[in-house]
Order: sequence, then structure tokens, then C-alpha cells
Amino acid sequence: MKVIFKELLLLPVAAMAALTISLLVGQSSLSESLPRVETNFSMAAPRTVEDLTQRSITRDYGQAWENLDRALSSNSAGLLSDYFVGPAKTGLASAITSQEKAGIRSHYLNQSHKLEAVFYSPEGDVMELHDTAQYNLQLIADGKTIQDERVVLRYVVLMTPAADRWVIRQMQAVSQF
Amino acid sequence: MWSSMNTASPGSSTFRTLLLLLGLVACLTQASPAQGEGPRPPAVVVAGTDFSVSTPGSGKATFYLVGPSHSSKQQIDLGQGIYIKGDEVLSAGRYLVVLCAQTCQSAAFYVTPAGPASLTFLAHPSRVPVRQDNAISGVVFPLDKFRNLVLAPVTINFKLTADRGDSSSRLVRTKDGVAWLRVRSGNVTGTVQLVASTGDVSVRRVVRQVASDPCNLRIKVERTAKGIVVETEPVRDCSGNTVPDGTIVTFTKIDGAGKSTVDAPIKQGIARAQMSAARQAVISVASGVVMGNPIRLSE
Repeated sequence: MKVIFKELLLLPVAAMAALTISLLVGQSSLSESLPRVETNFSMAAPRTVEDLTQRSITRDYGQAWENLDRALSSNSAGLLSDYFVGPAKTGLASAITSQEKAGIRSHYLNQSHKLEAVFYSPEGDVMELHDTAQYNLQLIADGKTIQDERVVLRYVVLMTPAADRWVIRQMQAVSQF
Repeated sequence: MWSSMNTASPGSSTFRTLLLLLGLVACLTQASPAQGEGPRPPAVVVAGTDFSVSTPGSGKATFYLVGPSHSSKQQIDLGQGIYIKGDEVLSAGRYLVVLCAQTCQSAAFYVTPAGPASLTFLAHPSRVPVRQDNAISGVVFPLDKFRNLVLAPVTINFKLTADRGDSSSRLVRTKDGVAWLRVRSGNVTGTVQLVASTGDVSVRRVVRQVASDPCNLRIKVERTAKGIVVETEPVRDCSGNTVPDGTIVTFTKIDGAGKSTVDAPIKQGIARAQMSAARQAVISVASGVVMGNPIRLSE
């Protein structure tokens, strides 16, 4: 009888553990989804952003962040080549090299980005954007999670057109815009 | 198994097991608890400058620095300041310091760009027709010596100097790390130097001003043994600048046989074409959107 009573008491605990495991599993599947990107080009000046460019920026910025997550979570600098150039690429490649040396991996999970264009050059060759990004930043060092936080960060981003896409040339987190 | 574990004092033991399991679940859901006092970095650090992070407590711990382009790990003694060299914080952005002993505790801080050390200067176009409104544009991004975008306002001096010594300048303050201007091209062909500067940093771009579209095209016609030779007078734009060689001029002849056209490039300011002879014909000339005087030929 006592044993049955104890088992009954343990049932809610088992349920909680199961729920926790299912949440953790859910989290990993969410990480595979594309970053959500909301854009606002109404403030861009002095040049108006063409419709095709708006669509390209929205698509390419999301892809860039997806690649960034994949590159930093697997420490594979090769994944940066498609959407990062110049100082942005150099900086991230350096981050990967030092992460690998320190035994760290970074995950950028459940991303959402609110992207606002603030400058579009007269000739259309560079655009500055402000991104208010939210994601779960997870740092894993030597197989152990050392940091897991939901962050809201602000990024100043410079994008330039390449052959068939817009690429990130500069990306800098700032405390405020 | 459970019952054998709990035989000594069933009630309290079950409670302890429950607490233990709840603790385990808490650990699973929050793998990096930040309890108590954590590392204390400065709130803001300028890129490339040394600083230290104070750590509470005593004993050994692992210290991580994770930034946008650099990460490091070191074993430290708690209770002492951790000295971070400037070359570990060259990139502006958000950094995390994580201290792991029994548990991990973290703190974030921002690295801001240093002062302007170089300018990214985009000037367009490389060749521009004279007398065009807003034809020349310049965009400047100030960068510090570590290639971080300087977001604090910086005054950029844009100076235009033409071949013949005419110059003008304009001061533009950066907003969100960018300064730009658009100006009208000058009246005279030649090179224009566009210089952007701040402090002792300056960058120069050269824009070549070329003649604009031809203006007042005029032709003359001469009969020869082989036919007729049509030739323009020196082709100039409306400011009197000679239109560059290679500009195409189209001659059109309409006679009894129909219409024929010849495209001829300007050479040394003049375009010339030879056409078949006709007793009566009307010959006209055009270049771009400009048309010249038609000439009526008769015997």
C-alpha cells in the first residue's frame, strides 16, 4: 500500500520530467526553422527602396542569420561565405577560430528580427539597417551549457548588393540606436 | 527499488526524493543558473583598450570571454581582477563574460568603437556630364582603426576642386555612422577632385567631367566623284565643351530611292560620312536626342 502511495506521489514528478524533455526536444526543432524577419523600408533615404530590393533584403538577411547560426554552432567558417563579406566575414571567421580554440559553440535559436532601413545611398550601392533581434543565445563549452538566455539586441548593419543577393558587410551590436 | 531505498523512514525519505527530483528538473530547465554575485565587467569599454573584470568569492573557476570576433577561456582564482588585454576586444559589439565554478554566472558589456582612423568613401559616378543637377554623390562611413563603424557623430568635410582651381566645400555631420552629399557637376570638362576628410584623415576620389549632349549640330555637304561627303562642324555641348571622340552621330539621307542612314563616330570633334550620290535629297543629322539642321540637296 505504501509503495503504491509513493508511486502515486511520484507520478506528477515523472510528468514534469516528461514535459521538460518534450520542451527541450521542441526547442531543438524550433532552432531549425528560418529566422523570422519583419522589415520596414519607409524611413530609408535619400533613395527609395525598390520593391524587388525590399524582397531581396528580407530574404537575404534571414538567410544570413541562419548561416551565422549554423556557422557558429558548428564552428564552420565556410558557411559564412554566401552572405557575409568584408569586415563582417573577417570578424565572424575570427570568432569561429577562437571559439574552436576555447572549445565553445554558440547557438542562436528562435530568432526574430525587426529590420528598419535608415539609409539607402543615392546610387543604391549600400544600405544601412537597424535590426532589433531577439533570440535564445546558448553557449556550450566542452559539452556543457554555460549560458542560455533570451536576448533582445540591437544591430547596426551595412548591406551591399552582390551578383544575385544582398550581403552583410558590417554588423555591430549597439546598446541603443 | 524505491521501497528498498525508503524503508528506514518512508515519509521523510519520499519527501527528500521529491525535492531531489524537483531540483533535477530545475537543473534541466535552466542549465546555467546565475545565482549570487557574478563577474563585474565595466559597463562600456572602448575597442582596443585594456580593462579588468572583478570576480567575487574564492577558489578556482573557469572564465570565458565571448565576443563578436573573439572568444577565450582561462582558469582563474576567484576574488581577483581578471586583466583583459585590448587586443581581445577589437570588435565593437556585445561581449559576455561567463564565470563557471559550481555553476555559471555571466555578465554582458558593450565595446564601443574608438575614434575615426579611416573613411570608407564611395563617390559616383567616375565620369559625369557637365551641368547636371545632383549628378555627383559621395557617401562616407567613418571607421576606427579596427574597422568598426564609428556611430558617434563625426563632422565630414567634403571638398570639390576642379582642374581650373574652382573649389567648394561642405561640412556634413554623420548620422547613424554615415554622411553623404549630392552636388551638381561643373560647367567645364576635366577632372574634379572630391576629398572627404575628418581630423587628419582624408580620402580623395577623382571624378571626370565630360561634355554633355551635343548642342546645335550643324552639317555641311560636299559632292565628290564618289558621291557626297557629309561632315559636322566641331560638335560641342551647350557649354561649349567639345563632345568626346567616339560619340555616335547619325546621318540620314532621304531621296527618291528611299531612306538610308550612316552612323559615324566623332573623331577630333568632327563626324564625317560618305553617302551615295543623289540628284535630290534631304540630309539630316542627329546625336542622342539632339537633331541638327537638315540640308536639301538639288542639282
